[in-house]
Amino acid sequence: MSAATRSLARKRPSGRKALLASAMLLVAVASAFPLAWMVLSSLKTPAETMQVPPVWIARTPTLEAYEKVAGVINVGRSMWNSLVIASVTTAGVLVTSTMAGYAFAKYSFPGRSLLFSVLIATMFLPPIVTLIPLYRMVGSLGLSASLAGIIVPNLANAFGIFLMRQFIAGVPDDLIDAARMDGASELLILYKIVAPSIAPAIAALALFAFVYHWNSYLWPLTVLQGNADAYPIVISLSRLLSYNRGAVNTGLVMAGATLAVLPPLILFVFLQRFFVDSIVGSAIKG
Amino acid sequence: MAKAFRASAGIMLAPAVTLIGVFVLLPMLLTVWLSFQDWSTQTPFSEASFVGLGNFHEIFGPTSVGRDFKTALLNTAIYTALSVVLILPLSVVFGLLVYQREVAGGTALRTVLFSTYMVPMIAVALVWSKLYSPSEGPLNQLLGLVGIGPQPWLSSPRSALVSIVLLNVWQQVGYFTVLAIAGLTQIPGSLYEAATLDGANGSEQFRFITLPLLRRTLLFSAVIAIINAVQVFEPVALITQGGPVGSTNVLTYHIRRVGIERAQGGLGSAMAVMLMLSLIVCVSALFAFVNRKDSE
Repeated sequence: MSAATRSLARKRPSGRKALLASAMLLVAVASAFPLAWMVLSSLKTPAETMQVPPVWIARTPTLEAYEKVAGVINVGRSMWNSLVIASVTTAGVLVTSTMAGYAFAKYSFPGRSLLFSVLIATMFLPPIVTLIPLYRMVGSLGLSASLAGIIVPNLANAFGIFLMRQFIAGVPDDLIDAARMDGASELLILYKIVAPSIAPAIAALALFAFVYHWNSYLWPLTVLQGNADAYPIVISLSRLLSYNRGAVNTGLVMAGATLAVLPPLILFVFLQRFFVDSIVGSAIKG
Repeated sequence: MAKAFRASAGIMLAPAVTLIGVFVLLPMLLTVWLSFQDWSTQTPFSEASFVGLGNFHEIFGPTSVGRDFKTALLNTAIYTALSVVLILPLSVVFGLLVYQREVAGGTALRTVLFSTYMVPMIAVALVWSKLYSPSEGPLNQLLGLVGIGPQPWLSSPRSALVSIVLLNVWQQVGYFTVLAIAGLTQIPGSLYEAATLDGANGSEQFRFITLPLLRRTLLFSAVIAIINAVQVFEPVALITQGGPVGSTNVLTYHIRRVGIERAQGGLGSAMAVMLMLSLIVCVSALFAFVNRKDSE
């Protein structure tokens, strides 16, 4: 800090600044602590996880716990299942949301606002309300205990339609009309003209959908009914719990949790701008 | 301008409307219909037989079915109320910490806060079950450092539900902080300048400018927080199984246990209908409350 800025800083009430800074630090530490502890514990030896007073950081970090996780659950298979569920669902959501969002933003047709309200109302419906009949329906369709059973009911959602409508409404009509003059079909206009001009919003929706379906637990657990071959990582993790009695397996459980947390967290760290912008966008415009 | 492209509109809407119609609206109507039926989840819908309000009598009745449901309803109400009461004020305080420009680091703080929202609830549940561990868990160790005795956390009926509320608040508060920041950015800076000229101090400005103008944001946040809170499932399913002595038996967990695991589809659907009705009442009351404040 130069002398000039230091004297400037002194003019402000410095006690207030110190208070603010320490409050921010406290909140950040409290917020980061559980995940930091998770990663640190996953690198400890079983003896270290049991020590009282606790050893916060392993003296010699080891991947022993991760090897043990691989012995209990099929990590590769579970991660692959999660990836398939999250990416296929996301792709479907992107297609259905942009199409419906385009129709709601740029067409006028009878019953438009009623249909939109009904769809938006489903956004506020907790999944448990539809779980019992949906479980039966998916069973009747022959989709239970399969990845398709997890994916198909989630290929469209109201949040995606809402978000896409908000952003597509901002695309100038002139742009669309010009393409129509040139004889472009509506689908071509949507994917060549409209979609590129709302790319950040589409990226945000893709990330939201991916993380949401990577993390989703209740529906896969209900559909799969014990078919371990189709378990996504979040469900496989619950198997570690039978090894969760007592501190000796803390490292094991934390290693498993770290594996499940990493993909969404890495996506977030690199692409958080999109996440935050779209939340802010949906809240303000909503 | 928008034009009437009816055929195109049909094509554009068909995929989303069909999927949401079949997999959300239809099951919702089925839930309502099943709540008036005696039906086992193991059998086709055609096996259902009409029992009128029988399921509702049973879930509010004096038998163990009724006792368990009423406990779950009460637990969910407490859980939801506590979550909202903690999340909303914290989101405003954290939002102000991120939004202020006196001390650098606001954006970094936002990143840290929001990152927890990306974490699968199952991992949150696993991590916190270890953090809460009574003997060697870090929370009791940290409390020991400041001279507070060990807490039973998840292992006592008196503290288990609150412990789950705390892990829920920890996970979700970052999301609501971002919503609060979105609300704060909408407040014109000129209002604060005018207030400063009029001699209003910081807390007066907060009370007479910030809070009233955040009312819409807070209403939106409250609705989302309520909807999120009734969905709590993983920590209960994984760690407490509704216990100790039913103290963490919440509706999402209980409805799934009754309707799927015990295959009592009619009873489970009646419970789901009650959950839906309670939500509608709560959200309408919130809107009415905020609208009345608006007109004052």
